[in-house]
Amino acid sequence: MTQAIPLEAVLVVAATLFCIGLFGALARRSMVGVLIGVELMLNAVNINLVAFWRYLEPGFTGGLTFVIFIITVAAAEAAVGLALIIAVYRTWLTSNVDNVDSMKG
Amino acid sequence: MYDMLYNLINVVFGFNWPTWLISLIGHAAVAAILFAVAPFQMLFLTYYERRAIARMQDRVGPNRVGPEGIFQPIADGVKMFTKEDIVPKAADRWVHLIAPCVVVAPTMFMFAVVPWGPGMVPVDLNVGLLFFFAISSISAVGLMMAGWASNNKFALLGAMRSVAQMVSYEIPAILSLLAIVMITGTLSIVSIIDAQAGLFINSVDLPGVPDWGLGWFIFTPVGFLAFFCFFIAALAEGERTPFDIPEADSEIVAGYMTEYSGMKFGLFYLAQYVLNFLLCGMTAIIFFGGWQGPGVNWLYSQAISPANPEGMWLFNVLAGVLGVFYFLAKTYFFFFVMIWIRGAYPRLRVDQLMDFGWKFLIPLTLVNMLSAAIWVGLTRWGAAEGLAFIEGWSAGVRWGVAFALTLIINLATYIMMARIYAASQAARSRLELEELRDLAAMSR
Amino acid sequence: MNILIQVIFGLLSALIVGAAMMAVTVRNIIHAALWLIACFFGVGALYLLLEAEFIAVVQVLIYVGAVSILILFAIMLTRQIEGARHLVTGWRLWVTIAICVALFATVLVPTLLSHNWNVPPPVIAEGSDLPAEPLAGAAELGRDFVFVYLLHFQVTGVLLTMALIGAIVIAFEERARRRRVLTLAEEHALREQKKNRGTEEQENR
Repeated sequence: MTQAIPLEAVLVVAATLFCIGLFGALARRSMVGVLIGVELMLNAVNINLVAFWRYLEPGFTGGLTFVIFIITVAAAEAAVGLALIIAVYRTWLTSNVDNVDSMKG
Repeated sequence: MYDMLYNLINVVFGFNWPTWLISLIGHAAVAAILFAVAPFQMLFLTYYERRAIARMQDRVGPNRVGPEGIFQPIADGVKMFTKEDIVPKAADRWVHLIAPCVVVAPTMFMFAVVPWGPGMVPVDLNVGLLFFFAISSISAVGLMMAGWASNNKFALLGAMRSVAQMVSYEIPAILSLLAIVMITGTLSIVSIIDAQAGLFINSVDLPGVPDWGLGWFIFTPVGFLAFFCFFIAALAEGERTPFDIPEADSEIVAGYMTEYSGMKFGLFYLAQYVLNFLLCGMTAIIFFGGWQGPGVNWLYSQAISPANPEGMWLFNVLAGVLGVFYFLAKTYFFFFVMIWIRGAYPRLRVDQLMDFGWKFLIPLTLVNMLSAAIWVGLTRWGAAEGLAFIEGWSAGVRWGVAFALTLIINLATYIMMARIYAASQAARSRLELEELRDLAAMSR
Repeated sequence: MNILIQVIFGLLSALIVGAAMMAVTVRNIIHAALWLIACFFGVGALYLLLEAEFIAVVQVLIYVGAVSILILFAIMLTRQIEGARHLVTGWRLWVTIAICVALFATVLVPTLLSHNWNVPPPVIAEGSDLPAEPLAGAAELGRDFVFVYLLHFQVTGVLLTMALIGAIVIAFEERARRRRVLTLAEEHALREQKKNRGTEEQENR
């Protein structure tokens, strides 16, 4: 496995995914779209960590524990974020980021 | 098995194919067999269910096509194939088309880790048990797609109900299995079955027990409570009565299947029955020893296996046949229990279903995990883990103390939880009655 | 064998990147969520290829089975499925694209390719062409969670509890404020009531 694919190839895939996620998080107007972008970015980070674990320290669990923690944080973030989206929708009847601007000076 | 294939192709025929090609061919062959077996199981189970439920309702059931109606499922299949495939005009065509596939594919995937007999497992994954449940959770996505793409209120309601139900009942299912995983210390399904050799007592916890293949986890208090919780959760996962809310035909037509017809409808049906078969099979495997039973282990010890390469191939066949017989007998028995429950109980309401899952089953499984921890500590730990006082006890005494202690904990928790839950439900229904009375007074 | 792995890796990368592209650009937000699920699945398969079985299964269980379902639920509860403008427009879009492309082309990729990663040479076992490396699996992971990373593990547990409570508190709607959906019979009763009141008023006049 490690001979067939160089580490850089996996890392480039992860970097591409990260940039696509960043684009989604910045460019989407709906809150769910932003959340989708953030999830993509977190996944890109996970790919990186798993790749480092596999190529550099395969016998050591540090990389894997990081991935588990990130997945946990992502799940918590998704739960709270979506609860926020629902609460915002209930108050403003919209889930677009631009329309929620009552704090604008 | 792959060694045999390798020998056949490279040594006997002398083709000298690379190993990856041979292992690909071997896996493809196993996958083909499983793809053939799954629809067959579905055909049999529909017939079985219709006949059994008919008996319970004092009817005869399908009895015209073939002797005793055994060709009825085939006739139904032909009917499904020849029906017109209708897609609503307002539906999201692609999602509507893909949804049945997304529902069926995971159920086929799940067959990959199910052992049918001794040495008869397609893939022995290290994390097989978790794989099984991870894959089963994918079909929820398919249900959501089906409900949304149909552009129909009933379909969407049914999909929301079924997904909420599947997601909530996955938690007690996995937590109850965790107790067993703690006892066996492995997530591989094959190892869990191997741990259930013995005679009413697990031979891992009490060495020296005669091996009749009856050391099932159901005979321990931890295993029994886990089985109780798991089977209820399995009923909810497989959308069986009393948890068939997603397709409650008297409330929301056919739930997420409302806008489907022809073969796509058939695929949903297939997925459902195959999932039920797999859940029954998993119950049999985890708590009732799967293929374990009197004689199988003895037969397999004489057969060709990695541990014993000089065995007789005849014993392979015998052990396989007996193991598959035990496995299928247990599985069909649990499917019968599902039908039995369908014949006996009415349907729950959505909020009752959620209450039951979150407020009754999950606490019970959590306490069961505590019991499992006590079980492991008492039967296997010693001075090294800080339990010096049980160092001198013999294995039998340890086992007895663990049995008594976990039994007391589980029984006490069950009785207490049942009381609290019954009281809360009674209070709730009183509130609902008052609300109804107020409404009635208002409308008067 | 190597060629097979490379082909699978290529297909998976194409799936991941393509699905991610679709997820951030399609107009229909439900389709975006479905593409996101495809992307998660591809990432899970990539983990399997990297021989991290446990992580792959957890990926499918948590992301495909829970997070994406949560996202679909949120979309359906907020009923904003197709907006007229799903992306920011005008100069903001171009700036966003420029930021992402610049990050990718000038920072990430040059760093990744120029850095010396010190990948240790694979351990070749005697008499076999497959490398026998000590791969940490689920069992080692579990042991380290209890012995090495216990504090972190407990902190994550607290975090999850907080998220659970927080999500319930934020999304909770009080019973009194909830819009009650009347049944057909209740609607009928209300209508009757109004009619009766109307006739009573007429009689009073």
